[in-house]
Amino acid sequence: MKMFSVAHKTVFVVDHCPYMAESSRQQVECDVLTKSRAQGVIPLAPVSKSLWTCAVECSMEYCRILYDVYPLHKLINYIVSDSEFHILNSWRQEDQSTHELMSALAAVGPPNPREDPECCSILHGLVAAVESLSKITELQHERRTSLMDTAERVANRGRIICLTNAKSDTHVRMLEDCIQETILEQNKLAAGSDRLMAIQQCDLILVHIHPQGEDTLVSDRPKKEISPLLTSEIHCVRAGRHLSTKLNILVQQNFDLASTTITNIPMKEEQHANTSANYDVELLHHRDAHLEFFKSGENSRDLHMAGTSTRENGLKETITLKWCTPRTNSIELHYCTGAYRISPTDVNSRPSSCLTNFLLNGRSVLLEQPRKSGSKVISHMLSSHGGEIFLHVLNSNRSTLEDPPSISEGCGGRVTDYRITDFGEFMRENRLTPVSESSHDPSGKLPVERAKAQLERHTRYWPMIISQTTIFNMQAVVPLANLIVKETLSEEDVLTCQKTVYNLVDMERKNDPLPISTVGSRGKGPKRDEQYRIMWNELETLVKTHAGATDRHQRVLDCIIACRSKPPEEEERKKRGRKREDREDRTEKNGSKDTDDKSWQESERLKGLVDKEEQESEVIKDSPDSPEPLNKKPRLCTEEVQPPERAKGPVSLLTMWSNRITVANSRKHQEFVGRVSSVNNKFELYQQLKDENGMDVHENGKASR
Amino acid sequence: MPTVVLMDVSLSMTRPVSLDGSDEFQRKNLAVHGLNMLFEHMASNYRLEFTSLMAFSSLWELLVPFTRDYNALQEALGNLEDYDKTCVEAALNGVSNVVQQEWGSACPCQVVLVTDGSLGIGKGSLRHSLQTQKHRGDDKKFPLPFPFPTKLFIMSVANAEELQMTDAMDNLEELLRLSGGDGQIFTMEGPLCMKSVQAMFGRLIDHAYSPFHAVLHCGNLSSDVQVFPRPEPIVMDEEVEPMPRSVNIDLEIVGFIEIADISSPPVISRHLVLPINVNKEVDEVGTGTTDELEEEPSASQMAGKSPNFCVLLHGSLKVEGMVALVQLGPEWYGMLYSQADSKKKSNLMMSLFEPGPEPLPWLGKITHLGPISEAAENPYGEDDSKSPFPLQPSAKRSYAQNVTVWIKASGLQTDVQKILRNARKLPDKTQTFYKELNRLRKAALAFGFWELLKGVADLLERECTLLPDSAHPDAAFQLSHAAQQLKLASTGDSQYAAFDHNIAPMHTDFSS
Repeated sequence: MKMFSVAHKTVFVVDHCPYMAESSRQQVECDVLTKSRAQGVIPLAPVSKSLWTCAVECSMEYCRILYDVYPLHKLINYIVSDSEFHILNSWRQEDQSTHELMSALAAVGPPNPREDPECCSILHGLVAAVESLSKITELQHERRTSLMDTAERVANRGRIICLTNAKSDTHVRMLEDCIQETILEQNKLAAGSDRLMAIQQCDLILVHIHPQGEDTLVSDRPKKEISPLLTSEIHCVRAGRHLSTKLNILVQQNFDLASTTITNIPMKEEQHANTSANYDVELLHHRDAHLEFFKSGENSRDLHMAGTSTRENGLKETITLKWCTPRTNSIELHYCTGAYRISPTDVNSRPSSCLTNFLLNGRSVLLEQPRKSGSKVISHMLSSHGGEIFLHVLNSNRSTLEDPPSISEGCGGRVTDYRITDFGEFMRENRLTPVSESSHDPSGKLPVERAKAQLERHTRYWPMIISQTTIFNMQAVVPLANLIVKETLSEEDVLTCQKTVYNLVDMERKNDPLPISTVGSRGKGPKRDEQYRIMWNELETLVKTHAGATDRHQRVLDCIIACRSKPPEEEERKKRGRKREDREDRTEKNGSKDTDDKSWQESERLKGLVDKEEQESEVIKDSPDSPEPLNKKPRLCTEEVQPPERAKGPVSLLTMWSNRITVANSRKHQEFVGRVSSVNNKFELYQQLKDENGMDVHENGKASR
Repeated sequence: MPTVVLMDVSLSMTRPVSLDGSDEFQRKNLAVHGLNMLFEHMASNYRLEFTSLMAFSSLWELLVPFTRDYNALQEALGNLEDYDKTCVEAALNGVSNVVQQEWGSACPCQVVLVTDGSLGIGKGSLRHSLQTQKHRGDDKKFPLPFPFPTKLFIMSVANAEELQMTDAMDNLEELLRLSGGDGQIFTMEGPLCMKSVQAMFGRLIDHAYSPFHAVLHCGNLSSDVQVFPRPEPIVMDEEVEPMPRSVNIDLEIVGFIEIADISSPPVISRHLVLPINVNKEVDEVGTGTTDELEEEPSASQMAGKSPNFCVLLHGSLKVEGMVALVQLGPEWYGMLYSQADSKKKSNLMMSLFEPGPEPLPWLGKITHLGPISEAAENPYGEDDSKSPFPLQPSAKRSYAQNVTVWIKASGLQTDVQKILRNARKLPDKTQTFYKELNRLRKAALAFGFWELLKGVADLLERECTLLPDSAHPDAAFQLSHAAQQLKLASTGDSQYAAFDHNIAPMHTDFSS
């Protein structure tokens, strides 16, 4: 349906003339006496609704269904007409509710039978309806403003549903002519106004209501074009049941609705709680939920259709779907091609309210097509979301995406040490939440832009595989890693980060093992000081990407630069010598750089070196596993690695204590994926390095021996 | 989007193509050459597409059912035989049946009709079909438009001038219009030869079968991907926004949502997101053919071994039971999730939501979804026990509130009986009694049903007289108070008949 089809605006014009106060002559027995009390009690005389009451309650039912299925953008303007017109609400969204309308109707009250019929006419209301149709709605205004130069694309169409008691066919024709003229006049007015729009199309539905058992002088007439602007159709209906059926059919036709009957709903009996019977509930919804049935006329012969007669005969057409008793709370992502709001036809009947309450409590129900052949096809699902019930259409056809290549066969599919758990944690931190539209952010950015900005900050340095990182495998780095990605840091945050750095310094001083070396290390492991160099480089890389954000971020970086250990001069020289042997150009590049400036690439390269050593060591196949060098004596003397800050004064008790805890914790960290998934204690590391610059790694590895 | 290739094998396809000096070709040979080219392209660049081959003359035959085996399709092309005259309508009926049997009536389909523009004569010709299509009964309707969304590509082994000499072009255009207009007529440019048929099929490939490459971003993490099938541009409301919307080649993740919260949302299409190695392709173009043969296997092996963001994302989405919300363009979103085909195979899948600022009412406006870090307290709770979703709509639906409908007599009777039942249990049920009474009063006032108010007032007075001696004295007070209030309301007196007014229980004190 187009956004601005005739369905965008509907005006109800209901006759409030004295004649409408007449009885519909359909009696309702509201005093149902039970047998035990029947004796000696005179039952109350049955009450009967007036034509007015019938018209109002049926139009309210029309509105109820409409608002249930289309809570937005399908608007109703309700007008009552007697000696003048009374407009009960406006096009504004907040006026669109049955409660609003009922309240306004109560204020109007039933027609006054003693009013002079000569003064009263439905015409007042019809003229007001045309005027109302030319008034711009919020949505029309919004779209016109947003489309700017193509504002003329916003159409203005509408429908008038007139519930009245007409005198004759001539009377009807007079009403149509009058509407036609009013439209022309109104369109002239609209040309010169901002708040009015010319009416491009108006559909009039005139429902002539007459009491039971009375002949009508007005004849039915199908839709007919009165002018290019106006079409008109006439329905003659007896008040009461027939009127409600008629309006139910009209709401379906006017708003592209269709009906589904849910069958076989098990429900406890009111009287006998231990037995259950099966019930049917009829629901209305957008007809696209039946798209599959309408289109595949040929194929759906198998489908059991209840009441196959067409709407033209006044009988209901509904598609029956069978209730499938739900499984307990399975969270599944169904392939759903549409979801449409529903409205029960008989909203306050017991079966309806049982079904809707069941759904509103958060359960979903799958629905099955009853087929004669006995094959089971689940084609729909009923589910509520935030107090609204939707009919989901599930795909029941063969998928064109079946049998795709598995993700493990494609790019990156052979890598096995992805940081799946860490990324899961990352995803949970980057979950979304609705932010109220009123809350204003000083940056002027929309919440979704802020969410993207957060993703950007969190991924500035994010190694994808475990063997590519040291710091993210260390419990001790967690506090800093969590804080540094924040947009702003508090003074306390900076302190925490600094504390993390001091802890690392302390670990280095104690020569605690780092996760990098423990992976499959046997025999000759990489030197501890090299491990720490790698770790510090990586940490610096992480923090550097955030240092520009605020001064406090910069202070964290400064702290790392100040605290991190500088390798002794001779070590550095020795390394340079080694490198020169391997590759002249590379050494020169690295040698010219300050240690602080060492890029992440270098640490990667160093790790490659470490890795190579490990690989080489694995060649000794039959040697027994040597115990891991956890409690090895420090090889370096502590003075060398002690950072300047730490040398200044005695260590506080708190620092000592927290160091102890951190060290203990870091030993208890999660087992590395590499070791867990290793075969014969072997696990290939840094595959990506070999792929990218396998030659370099190889050469370095050789050189280090 | 499956493809049906509908190949004209009528006699007119065997017409020779005049070529100076070289071998004699038939139009059929040209068509087969073009189709071979299409199948080769699909086999290497679009190989997940299901394609079937049908041949038609006055009858039609399904030569190869839907398959991804392009060798089989090419083989069948090699064994085509020649038959009688062209009858497009029968063939289209065949397409309709074959497609619906395989894919149902909702799956969009591409039909490649290969013909020479000689569209039959007399009864059964396209001209005849189109002339009569308006005056037919329901049982013999023209097959177009198909029940499923269709893209019809007409490959004419003839140039435009030739088609325009007869009414063939008009008829083909009418055919395209009837199919829904989403498609194109391709004609040969210049003389009929291998080169021009290649050019024509090349244009079809560019138009409909070029793989859709995009970059998936999550902040600074990214991966080159192929999205299959190609996301098609869509038009939501032709009147307001006639320009079709297309999916961006940069797919930007905006955040993550639990599967339970996104809750089986309706989607307009589903696509596989396959990580691709772009460098490899660049190399292929750049380097000479000699190295290529040697290096290709190792290149794909290397691609498998270097970490890829898609694989990481897929793994975590699967483990955590979450989806990633992804922006496809201005006011257009979709979701990425792990889809398991079988127990072994699973894949990164992308579903597209309907374009618009608020595709799912239970999420609200997507632009108003922000990071949880901004919330005062974690909306998911510290132990993930809560969720900010679904969003509650501002107004309750009729079935979620206690609405009064008296269209059926039983509705009214139930409401009256409810009041009477509570009336007999006064004063214990005072609250419920007045609640039900006020509900009835409101509805009766709105519907202008004053007669009912009087009737219920009478009923309450009668109940008052029927009270047993053992009844609490309060019961009689409340009943007559309620009856009196209803009677006052039924006069329409604004003091008593206000809609928002409620009848309050009479204040009585029997404690002393």
